[in-house]
Amino acid sequence: MTKIWRETGFVDNDPWLIETDEVKATGEQKPLLSLDELIAKADGSNDAGLGVLIKPADDVRRLEPYLDRLAIVAVAFPAFNDGRAFSHASLLRQRLGYTSELRAVGDVLIDQVPLMLRVGIDSFAVTNATALKRLAENRLPAIPHHYQPAVRDAEAGKGYSWRRQAKPAA
Amino acid sequence: MYRYDEFDHAFVSERVEQFRDQVQRRLSGELAEDAFKPLRLMNGVYLQLHAYMLRIAIPYGTLSARQLRMLAHIARTYDRGYGHFTTRQNLQFNWPKLSDIPDALADLASVEMHALQTSGNCIRNVTADHFAGAAADEIADPRPYAEILRQWSSVHPEFSFLPRKFKIAVTGAERDRAAIQVHDIGLHLKKNDKGEIGFAVYVGGGQGRTPMIAKLIRDFLPEEDLLSYTTAIVRVYNLHGRRDNKYKARIKILVHETGAEELARQVEAEFAALKDSELKLPEQDVEAIAAYFALPDLPERAEGWENLARWKKADPAFARWVQQNVQPHKNPDYGMVTISLKPIGGIPGDATDAQMDAVADLAEEYAFDEIRVSHEQNLILPHVALADLEAVYRGLVAINLAEANAGLITDIIACPGLDYCALANARSIPVAQEISRRFGSPERQAEIGELKIKISGCINACGHHHVGHIGLLGVEKKGAELYQITLGGSGDEHTSIGEIIGRGFEPDRVTDAIETIVDTYLGLRLEQSETFLAAYRRVGPQPFKDALYGSAAEAA
Repeated sequence: MTKIWRETGFVDNDPWLIETDEVKATGEQKPLLSLDELIAKADGSNDAGLGVLIKPADDVRRLEPYLDRLAIVAVAFPAFNDGRAFSHASLLRQRLGYTSELRAVGDVLIDQVPLMLRVGIDSFAVTNATALKRLAENRLPAIPHHYQPAVRDAEAGKGYSWRRQAKPAA
Repeated sequence: MYRYDEFDHAFVSERVEQFRDQVQRRLSGELAEDAFKPLRLMNGVYLQLHAYMLRIAIPYGTLSARQLRMLAHIARTYDRGYGHFTTRQNLQFNWPKLSDIPDALADLASVEMHALQTSGNCIRNVTADHFAGAAADEIADPRPYAEILRQWSSVHPEFSFLPRKFKIAVTGAERDRAAIQVHDIGLHLKKNDKGEIGFAVYVGGGQGRTPMIAKLIRDFLPEEDLLSYTTAIVRVYNLHGRRDNKYKARIKILVHETGAEELARQVEAEFAALKDSELKLPEQDVEAIAAYFALPDLPERAEGWENLARWKKADPAFARWVQQNVQPHKNPDYGMVTISLKPIGGIPGDATDAQMDAVADLAEEYAFDEIRVSHEQNLILPHVALADLEAVYRGLVAINLAEANAGLITDIIACPGLDYCALANARSIPVAQEISRRFGSPERQAEIGELKIKISGCINACGHHHVGHIGLLGVEKKGAELYQITLGGSGDEHTSIGEIIGRGFEPDRVTDAIETIVDTYLGLRLEQSETFLAAYRRVGPQPFKDALYGSAAEAA
C-alpha cells in the first residue's frame, strides 16, 4: 500500500497516479505523464497543473520551458542503489529554480529520506513497511550536521564555508 | 595535523548513533540483509569469507600516536590482536562481531576517526602522498585539499548512491607517490606563472578488470574551484555512468565510451553553472585548514650528520636500513623513515597491537607525533631528526619492523586474497611470503635494486598488480590456482599498465618464474643503476618471454 508522506505528515486524497496498462486515472485522479507525454501535452495545449514522472535516464533540463505549468514533478528511484534522482532533484531545484512539489517515487527507504529531503524532495510515495512505521512515529534517522551545502535551506555551519546545520524544526 | 572541532565531533558521534540504530534493526530482523548492505558498507562494514570486516578510514594516511594506539586497542578488544594496512591507506580488521562494531566506531570517534565511506558506491577515503608536508620535492602539501574533500564528500546527499565506488587521490610533488593516474579523480598540485596554487585534474583512471590510465581534463584548476569542479565531475558521472553492468560502471568506462574531450566539455558546462555558487572556497578557509598541516617546528639538529656517519660505520645493518628506508626531508637535519610492514616471510601490511603501540611510542618520542600509512602498505615517520635515527632503528628492531627493504623486491604489495576475501579466486599472502623468503638476503636485494612486486588474488586488483613492475594476478582455472604475470607496470608520474607476459604459473612454480625474470633482468641491464623498470622499457617483453617459455615457444 502506497502512502504519500510530507514533513507535515501523511497526505490524504493525493490525486497523482502513475498509469500502467491496467491502471488508468479516473475521477479525481490525475496521471503523472512521462517526460515526452508532458512536453507533447504542454506544447499542444494551455493546460497547467500538470504532473510529470522523471525516469533516471531522462534529462530534467528539458522541463525548463514548462516549469510554471507543473504542479508536481516525481523523480523515480527504481532501486535503492540508483541514485540518479538525487542529481535530478538538485538540478530541478538549484539550476532550474523549480519550486512546486517534488516527489520521490519507487524504492523509498527510511534511511534515504533525510538525504532526499536535503536535495529538495518534499513529498514521498512510501511502500516500505519500516519506512511507513518510522514516518508515522516521526523518527527520521537524520544527522543535523552537514559538510556541504545542498538544496534544502540550512544555517551556516560553524567553521568553514561549506558546512551547514539543519534549522531547528519550526 | 587536522584536529576535529565541535562540528566534526558532533557529526561523527551522530553518525555512530545512526549506524547503531541500523545495526539494531538488522540484528532484530527488521532490516533485511539487502537493505542493510548499502548502509553497512557506507560505515566500512563488509561481509567477508569468514566474518564481517571493518575497514577504518585513515584520511590521506595521516595518524597521530593517540590514534594509532586506539587502532591497537580495537585490534585487542574486538579483533584477534592484529590489523591489516591496505593499499588505500586504510586499516582493516578481519574478525569483529557485528554487534561490537558500533562500540568500536564510538571508540574511533573518541580519537577523531571513523570508518565512513571506506566502502560502498560513494566517494571513498581520499588518499594522498605519504610523504606530504615533508618531502623535499613538494610544491605544496596535498593534505589540506584532501581534508576539504573528505569533509565535503562525507554523507553527501547527492552522491551517496553513485553507479560505483569513487576514489580521489591528491599529490603535491613532482614525484607522484599517490598513483593519481589510476584513480577516478587524480589531482596534481601545481603553481602557475603567478605563483598561485591550482590543480591538474585527471579523470577516469583505475585498475580492476579494465585497467585505464586517467586522462588530463584540466591543466590548471584554481584552488577556489576545487569543490565546484569536483561536484561537476561527480554529477556528470552520477547521471551518465553506466548502471546496467557493475563491471562497466566506473567513471573510467564513461570517459572511455564518451571520449575524454566530450566528457571534459560536459564537466566544464556543469562547472560553469556551479563556479560562482556556495561551493567556491574562500581563501581564508583554505588557509585555516592548511594551518593544521603546518610543518612542526623542527629544532636544528646538525649533530646528526656526524653521529649518523659514525653509527653507519659501526653497524652495517643500520647503514643498510638508513640507505634503504630513510629519504631526504625538506630540512637537511631530518629524514623521512619508512617502517617496513614487510618482514621477510611476513604478511604484507599486517601489524600486531603491540607493534602499533610501539610505533605510536616512537612517533611520540622521536617524530613529532605523526605517522603515515603508505599505499604501499608501510608506515612512515615523516619527520625524524638524523640524530634520532639510531634510537628509532633500535626501537623498530625490538618489534621486528626494521626490515631494510623499502622499494626492494621483498617490499611486496599483496591483497588479503583467498585467505580472507569473498571476491578472491586465489591466495596472495602465501605467494608473497614465498617470494619474500626466496629473495630475503640483503645482498641479493641490494644487487637487484628497485623492483616493485604487486600481487592481487582476483581481477579487482586491490593488490595493484597492473602497476607492479612485476605484477601477479591470481586466477582460478578448473578449480586450481594459477598466477598470471604482468611486466612493466608503474604507478608513478609515468604511469603504465603492465603487459601479460604469457600463460600463468601454478602456485609451486611462480617463485621460480619470478627468479627467472629477475635473473634475465640482471643479465641484460646496462649498468647497476638501470632499474628493472627502465630495463624493461628499453628491451620490451621478449627476453623475458624467451627465458620463461623458451625462445621457440609462443606465449599462449
